[in-house]
Amino acid sequence: MKQPSLYTLPSTRYKRKATVFSLIAILTVGICIYLGFDPLMLFTEFHYVVDLAGNMLPPNFEMFRSNGHVWRAILETICMAFLGTIYGGSIAFVLAFLAASNTMPAWAIRQVVRFCLSLMRVIPSLVIILVFVVAIGLGPFAGMLTLVWTTIGTFGQLFTQIIENLEPAPSDAIYAIGASRVQVIRYSILPQIFPSFIANLLYSFDINMRAALAMGIFGGGGIGFELYMAMRVLRYKDALALICFTIVLITIMEKLSDHLRKKVLGAATLK
Amino acid sequence: MTGQTYPTYNLKRYRKWVLPVIALAIAVEGAALVCGADIRELNSGLIRSFIFLGQMFPPDWSAFPDLVSPAVDTIVIAVLGTFFGTIISLGFGLAAASNVAPRWLRRLTRGFIRIERALPEIVILLFLVAAFGLGPFGGVVSLTIGCIGMLGKLFADAIEEIDPVSIEAIEALGASKIQVIYYGVLQPVIPSIISFALFRFELNIRLSVVLGAVGAGGVGLELYRAFSLLDYNRGCSALIITLVLVFITERLSEYLRSKVRMEGALK
Repeated sequence: MKQPSLYTLPSTRYKRKATVFSLIAILTVGICIYLGFDPLMLFTEFHYVVDLAGNMLPPNFEMFRSNGHVWRAILETICMAFLGTIYGGSIAFVLAFLAASNTMPAWAIRQVVRFCLSLMRVIPSLVIILVFVVAIGLGPFAGMLTLVWTTIGTFGQLFTQIIENLEPAPSDAIYAIGASRVQVIRYSILPQIFPSFIANLLYSFDINMRAALAMGIFGGGGIGFELYMAMRVLRYKDALALICFTIVLITIMEKLSDHLRKKVLGAATLK
Repeated sequence: MTGQTYPTYNLKRYRKWVLPVIALAIAVEGAALVCGADIRELNSGLIRSFIFLGQMFPPDWSAFPDLVSPAVDTIVIAVLGTFFGTIISLGFGLAAASNVAPRWLRRLTRGFIRIERALPEIVILLFLVAAFGLGPFGGVVSLTIGCIGMLGKLFADAIEEIDPVSIEAIEALGASKIQVIYYGVLQPVIPSIISFALFRFELNIRLSVVLGAVGAGGVGLELYRAFSLLDYNRGCSALIITLVLVFITERLSEYLRSKVRMEGALK
């Protein structure tokens, strides 16, 4: 192991720091020039932002009253996130048992499931939604399937880790009194991971709410689609109203899921 | 499940689950109705997506040379977004930490972070594209702003966990406010800053692909364009490049994070 820098002379330390900082600075400037990215543009061209803000203010909250299908879009977004979480979470739950080394004895099946999970995680959601939109058509169903897919990818791996990190003692004890493998899962593993499963589902609902918004822009329907359309036809006042509503909605959902999560986990620690 | 003991195995113990399960089933059914989710449509849709995936093969090998520069753009957008985002989030983290910032500033910053977290990067990009036009500029800025919501909160929490004794010790030596922040607050959290930033970089690569399709350019735009023009073989090439990019950054960030964690523990 390398000696920590505690023992080097201050002058050497400063020289090293200076080298690292100047390298980073040169690299950043180089990249900026390569990309044609000028951070100062944000300030010199700020009048565009002011123009846009002028076009957007005040937000047109009237549209929630006059335009009925906005409410449907909101409902669609929530339902997409909900179904994505429920279906994705359930499938991930089952797959996790097949991928964890302490519940699945067959090495080959474990590796196959793990490979599928990591493949699902690596494929960007953009590709998934494009494929589903072609195969199923525009609309919330395609968005929902994408959310199911991404939820399986992320939470399958998470649940696998949770199952593998469990203490082996309770399972061993139940196994020792003659329980079958399924009974071990039912009486030792399931009660242990159930609270964290619920907590993670709530968390994933939170994530899926945001993702559902992004899905809408690529044809997944829901509030994201409405927002994209409003921006495209330059109805910025409507767009800002939608944004405000979304922020409120997501914040409320986040608070709710935080609260429930604390409750679920708190109840678990009490036991 | 509960602390009660059951003398014999009894199905009655499952009775408390009946109502929640029925409620859940009704909610799922209702949501499926709203989304237009249909099992038959799913079946035919899955068959169609497999046919579609079959059409994508083989990838268009001749497309790879023109896809290199978009791929570099995607990486560069993610790198710059993470870099500027980390610096800005550090400011936000300091302003939101209870042991550094005054109360009013903390409230304000935490509120801003909360609002920012509710806004997906893609929505920010829509606004930036409306203001500045298409191009990587919007991508970098939206990733930078997107960092604030996540990193700002994580940094603030990391800073709040610093042992107050070490800050007091530095204060007692007569350090100015800036010196206290530099030596007492920033130095101990540098390992966690780096590891959070690396984690965020991993996310930013994925986001940068997605943002590309909305107007930031890069490999995401190529992907989207190839799919819209029904040029699926080219889409497959772009997909392969994306997968390689995401996979490599994931591995790299994991490796670097484990290294940072080890060195952080050593010090």
